Order: sequence, then C-alpha cells, then structure tokens
Amino acid sequence: MTASAPIVITENASSDKLEVFDVSVDFEGLRAIDDVTLSINNREVFGLIGPNGAGKTTLVNVLTGFQKPTTGRVLLGGRDVTGWTPHKLGRNGLSRTFQAVRLFRDLPVVENLEIAAIGTGLGRREASKRSIEILKWMDFEHKAFDQADTLPYGEERRVGIGRALAMAPRFVLLDEPAAGLSDAECDDLMSIISKIPSNFGCGVLLIEHNMRVIMGVCERIHVIDSGKTIAQGSPSEIQNNPDVIRAYLGSKTE
Amino acid sequence: MDSRHITAIIRFLWTPLILSFIVLTIVLIVWASGDSVVARTITDGLIRTVLVIGLYIFIGNSGVLAFGHIAFMLIGGYAVAWLTMSPFKKSFALDLPAILADNQFPLFPSAIAAGLLPAIVAFIVGIPIMRLSGIAASIATFAVLAIFYTIYSNWDSWTFGASTLVGIPLYVNMWVALGWTVFAIFTAYLYQQTKYGLALRSSREDEVAARAAGINIPVQRLIAFVLSAFFMGIAGVLQAHFLGSLIVNGFWLGITFLSLAMLIVGGQRSLTGAVVGVIVVSTIVELLRQVEAGIQFGNFEFSLPGGFQELGLAVLMIVILIYRPWGIMGGHEVPWPFGHGKRILAGGFALAPPLPKDERK
Amino acid sequence: MLQLIVQIAVDAISLGSLLALTALGIGLIFGIMRLINFAHGDFIMLGAYALIVPSAADAAMMFIGVWPAPILVISVIAILIVVALASERIAFRPLRTADPSILLITSFALSFFFQNLVLMVYSGRPKGVPLWPDLVKPIYLGPIRVPELHIITVCVTLALLVLLVLFLKKTTIGVQMRAASEDFRMAQLLGVRGNRVIAAAFAISGLLAAVVSLLFVSQTGTLSFKMGVPLVLFAFVATVVGGMGSLVGAVLGGFVVGVSSIVFQAILPMEMRMNDDAWVFALVLLILLVRPGGLVSVKALQERV
Repeated sequence: MTASAPIVITENASSDKLEVFDVSVDFEGLRAIDDVTLSINNREVFGLIGPNGAGKTTLVNVLTGFQKPTTGRVLLGGRDVTGWTPHKLGRNGLSRTFQAVRLFRDLPVVENLEIAAIGTGLGRREASKRSIEILKWMDFEHKAFDQADTLPYGEERRVGIGRALAMAPRFVLLDEPAAGLSDAECDDLMSIISKIPSNFGCGVLLIEHNMRVIMGVCERIHVIDSGKTIAQGSPSEIQNNPDVIRAYLGSKTE
Repeated sequence: MDSRHITAIIRFLWTPLILSFIVLTIVLIVWASGDSVVARTITDGLIRTVLVIGLYIFIGNSGVLAFGHIAFMLIGGYAVAWLTMSPFKKSFALDLPAILADNQFPLFPSAIAAGLLPAIVAFIVGIPIMRLSGIAASIATFAVLAIFYTIYSNWDSWTFGASTLVGIPLYVNMWVALGWTVFAIFTAYLYQQTKYGLALRSSREDEVAARAAGINIPVQRLIAFVLSAFFMGIAGVLQAHFLGSLIVNGFWLGITFLSLAMLIVGGQRSLTGAVVGVIVVSTIVELLRQVEAGIQFGNFEFSLPGGFQELGLAVLMIVILIYRPWGIMGGHEVPWPFGHGKRILAGGFALAPPLPKDERK
Repeated sequence: MLQLIVQIAVDAISLGSLLALTALGIGLIFGIMRLINFAHGDFIMLGAYALIVPSAADAAMMFIGVWPAPILVISVIAILIVVALASERIAFRPLRTADPSILLITSFALSFFFQNLVLMVYSGRPKGVPLWPDLVKPIYLGPIRVPELHIITVCVTLALLVLLVLFLKKTTIGVQMRAASEDFRMAQLLGVRGNRVIAAAFAISGLLAAVVSLLFVSQTGTLSFKMGVPLVLFAFVATVVGGMGSLVGAVLGGFVVGVSSIVFQAILPMEMRMNDDAWVFALVLLILLVRPGGLVSVKALQERV
C-alpha cells in the first residue's frame, strides 16, 4: 500500500454535522467566548482563525468536552452533546489534537495510535491493524516502534494527527498543527489535511495561525476576535473582509 | 505452527519467561543446597515479590502512587485465617459467626476466596476514589488503609484485636510461594498487554490526551485496582500460612514503606523493575544482616554494630535513586537479545521489519 | 459542662496548632519542589532527642534540656536547621528534577535512617523527659481551668504564623519563595536562585520542626524514636485536606484534622471511640471526594488543556 492510496475507515452519513449554537464561556467574569454559532459539515475542512487570545482553543475545549459552556448548545449529528465528558465524546466520533501535542511519551508510536483506537471500543488486534494502516498512510510505519519522546518536533505533531485519526472520527479538530513547522513540513501537513476528509470520511476543524495553511486547505473559514464571531465565508471572502483585515490580517501581514 | 510463529510468541512472552526463569533458578539453587534457613528467607522474598507485583499492577500502570494497598493484604490475611484455622484454635481467640467458627475450609479455595474479598473491597472503595488523581488519590488510598487498620486493631471478636493471632495452618513453603509468584508475573504481564493495560498506561503518560482518546480513566484504574487488590490479598494469605500468625500492627507503615521502596528502587514503570526491586533490596538487607552478625576474614571476625543494617539500607536506597531516578530498570522490561526481526504487536498483528532507508518510497 | 467544653476546645485548638505548624513545614517545601518530606517528623524527633545526653540508658540525662530557656530554644532551632539543610544538600538536591514519587521515597529512606540512628544511639525504649514541668500547671480564667502550656502553644503558633506571613510578604527571599512555589521554572528564569530559595524553605521547616518539637515534648514528657510518625502522618493528611501547595490550606487543614480528631474522641459513644482515627480518616476521604483539590485549591497544580 502506498501513501497515496485512500483508506476509508468510517463511512459516515454525508449529512453529518457538528454544530455550535449561541455558545458563551465565562472565566471568572471574563467572557472568553461570546455567543458563537457555527456549523461544520461532513467531509469539509473548516478553518477557525483569530488573533492570539481570541478564544479558539476554548471553543475546541467546549466542543471536546474539556470546558462546559456557560450557555449554548453543542450538537453532533443533530444530537445534543453539551456537557458530555471528553471520553464519551471521543467514543462518539469527536477527536482532537493538542497545541502541546501531548503524546504518550514513554510508549512507542504505534501504541499511541492503538490507544486511541482502543478508546473507540476496538480490541487490541483491530486497534493494531488500524494503527498500522494509518501509519502507512502517513508514510511513517518505519518509526512505528520508536518511543514517542525520541521523535523530532515535526514528527511528534504528525503522530498527534495520526492518533486523532485512529479514532475513526466523524469530526477531527486540529489545534494549530502547523505551529513551529518548517515550510517543507507545512507542505506535507497541508497534503495530509486535505486528504483527510475523503480518506477518512470525516469533517475537519482546523485552527491555525499560519495563513498559507488555512487559505490552502479550507473550504470555509470562521473568524473570531475577543470571543466574538466577526466573519465567515470562503478563503477569498475572508481575505477581502475589512473587519478581518483590521482585526487580524492587518496586524499580521507586513 | 511454524518456527517463526513460535519465535514470535516467545518474544512476546520474553519478559515473564525470563523473570520466572530467574526466580526458578534461585529456588532450585537453594533447594539443591538443602539449607532450610535460606529456604525460609527465599520464601519470604517470593511472598514479597507477589506483594510488590500486586502494587505494581496498579501503581506501575496508572502512575498513581497508592499508599493504602497494605489494607488489601491485611484483609486477605485475616480472611484466610477465618476460613482455614481449626475450630478448636479459633475458639481461643475469636468470636466468629457459627459458619466460620465451626468449620475449617480447604486451603486452596480459601486462598482464592481470601484474595477475592479484598478485590471486592477494592471495587467498592475504588468507585469513588478512582476519580481522584495525583496526591489526592494517594492520600485517599492511605485513608482506606488507616480506616481498615484502626477497625481491625479494635475488632476483638474477629481479629483478636491488637494481639497476635496464632494457629493458622502452616503450609506455604518455597514451592507454593514460587507457584504464586510465577502466576503473578504472568498475570501482571498479560494484563499490561491487554487493551485495558494499555489504556491505563496512556493515562499515566497524559491524562488529558487519554481522555480525549476516548479512555474512561476511572474505569481503567478501577480494573487495575481490583486486580492488584487480589494479589495483595494473596500476599497476605501466603504470609499468614507461612508464619502461622497474624498481627494487625504488621500491616501498617513499615511494610507499606518497604514494599513501595522495593517497587521504586527497582523501577515502578516496568514489571521487571518490580521483580528486580524485590531481589536487590532483599539482597542488600540480607547481606547487611550477615555483616552485622559478623563475617570471618581469615582469623579476623569483622562485625558491625547493631542497627547498621537499617542505616545501610537507607543510605543505599538514596544512592540508587540519585544515580537511577527511575529505578534500576528505568522503566525497561527484559530486553530481547536476538536482534530486530519481525516484531509482533500484542494484538497478534505482525509488522515487517523496517526497510532500509533507500528502499523506501 | 462548661469546663468540659472549654477543655475539649482548648485541647482541639492546641493539637490543631501543632499539626498546623507541622503541616506548614511540609507544605512550604512541597509548594516549591513538589517534595512531600516525610522526614519532617523525624526532624521533630531529633530536636526532642537533642535535649538529652546520647546514651542507651533507660533514664534520660538532660543535656541541652537543662540550659536556660532562651539558649535551649535557640540551640534546638539551630540543630534542626542544620539537620534540615544537610538533608536537603545530601539527599534531595541531587534528585531535584526527579518525579515526586521518587522524592517521597527518598524522604521515607531518610526518615528510616534518622529513626534507626536514634534507635542505635539512644535505644528504642521511650524515655521520660521533664521539660519545663511548671508549664503543665493550670491557670484559672474565672471558674475555668486551662493548662498554661496550651495557651502558650496557641500563642506561639499565632506569633509564628504572623512572622511567617511578614517574612513571605516583606523580605526579598520570602517573595522569591512565593514566586518559586507559583512556578519554579519561571521564577528561575526571572533570576530567582533555586538553591537559595529551597535552602531557605528547608531552614524554615527546620525552625518550625524545632518549635513543634519543644511544644510537643513539654506536653507529653516522653521521647520515642517513632514520635514524629503520627505527627507527620496527620500533618501530611492535613496539607492534602487543606489543599496541597497552599500555605493557608496547610494551616487550615492542620486545624481541621486536629480539631476533628479531638472532637471525635470526645463525642463518639464509648464503643466507637476506639476507632476514632477511622472516623478522622473517613472525614478526610469525604473531603477529598467532594473537593479533590483540598479546601483551598491551588491554580498552579491544576492542569491546563
């Protein structure tokens, strides 16, 4: 099997949606997320951008159950999943990566993926099989037995994505996967991300600072600033939106 | 089954096979020497091995430093006394309900029952406690020990209070202890290769990532807690049938510290570490004891003042930890010495060896 | 009846004070280097044994114990500061970056060392030591009888707490200690010298141990090589109940554990009274299950996602 061959692990209904309705989060009186509504479709790459401290990671934490929203609802495939625990959401098809990667450092790469597969209810045999398939797909099986904490940074991030995919998710949430990567590594990453929806039959929520990555792979982009939605649309619409330029791009691009 | 398959299975079971081989060798040497004093020392060491493996199953895989496991040893030890002492001997010290007071149950089923009782207790107390992490979990388990210790110390009709309960049948010798040790080694190893063991180890590495990966941490911890309580209970059973007596005071801080020290000196993150820890610490203790008793150098007799044994043990433990902070084994299992061939995953799914770099792509 | 209530209250507060001071000694070091120093109880024990002449004889001969009070107090404090600093330098400093469980086991080993050292030199039998026998005499507040020693215990505790707060708020090294317990790495990056701060924390814990040692010996009048164990055990539990890493929590936890232990002893019916420690630990378990972070939970210890 070569790296380009598609592997569809789950066959999710194409009408599957991950939706957020009027979600707000307060931290000790500070409003981190303010009335955000968005909806991610199956098999699309949906970008979430915003300046530092805009509340992007908080929103991911709400979606994955690490943060209870103060108000608002989260719907997965039409089902209200607000307030579910992270592992229950994981079992129901929501997986994520972390900004800090958070690999299981003392375990080999393949077991990192296996654990995520086990988390969705597989036995060890199937979990091993799925993990090896994904490592092959990512062209990484030669490091399957390397201990995770021996990997260089860029490869750690790749294993993090592999681990999220090993859950055969309906939606995968990537929290700044390009942070700290070189341009060449970013290109690899973009090709992996853009293949995820078709090869895994899932939707992708991509949080990123790197505009090249975002504009290169996203079909729709949602922009938040200080916890509030300021724009949503296609890459070209976002690039030309004056609010976005003022809040975000203006301060970032020289 | 072809030879490659057999090699793969041996490789998969390499760690428990080697560990069992080591303890078996020690036992055979002592048996051949016919020294009954050394045989008693070795039996004691084997019981400690079961105890420390019991600790390892929970602490090693979960990364939660539990202080209260000796409670399960206490429960197992007394349970087996209730079941296997002769009614005549029970009538001297205890005031048990008729079914226990008037009967003497067979040894092996009693041992299993006395292992299951602490497992059940672990299940019940574990349900709330396993939600805790870190130091709060450590103290909560210690609170469980303190509660059982206090109750058993004062529960005259069942435990003879703080006094020594004597008259428990003596049947544990080196071979019985060896059998249980090998069983514990294989069970602990196979558990850590199951999906439950792997899931629990992921929570040891990173709780947040494990939860995101769909792992229900309290449930995984509970499984290990119950399994480890069973072996702690068995260690209590073996000790009761080895010494023939029980005293509640023997299940308190001294044994808690010693067993934790053995685990951590050996390396809490691997089964090999647990076994090596028992061997190394027991050997140090034994050597120091002999030096303290006096050793002959030609015509000179050299001996050290009483108490030196304990001081020496403390100093050596600190020195070992300073040089090997993750214990002697540092988290490694017994390495496979025959090169890198085909690796087999625990799930039985084989993976070919990596291709040389230029052949890839 | 009133006499009884006052008696219980004074006992409870007095035990609570000792536990609070011990818990503070443990909590201070935990906050900075994530070490639970089990040997702290043995610092207390060593301070007590310093009062008598080293010998295995049954009857204790007073040594430092007969010196005038101010010199006696200063000597015991000095000895324990040296012991604490030496422990840090020899056993804990090489392991500073090790896992907390390793540090804990190291402190077990150190505790084992101190206990067996005393056992070797002084023998294992408990020894009677009449330190300041006059203080046990009661004083009368109207009709109510209160042992003078208990009043002194409470006053000394309060004074030490005030001094410690001033030290942590007003002195440079005190502020650095607070910064280090918030985030040790960050404090180091900001120019706080790790060795100095940790040494200071150990020195203070030695001082606190010395005070507890003297108060405890004058209350009980006996020495035993294991006398530090129950103190450190309850104090350790107190720091966790109060909230690991919080000094306010350590003091609060000390009082909660001390007071509940005395109160359980007083109010439980006779047949359950034997199990009073079981009740204290059941309470501890309950507090932890309801508030896993302890009564005063500390942000620095909560994991961010």
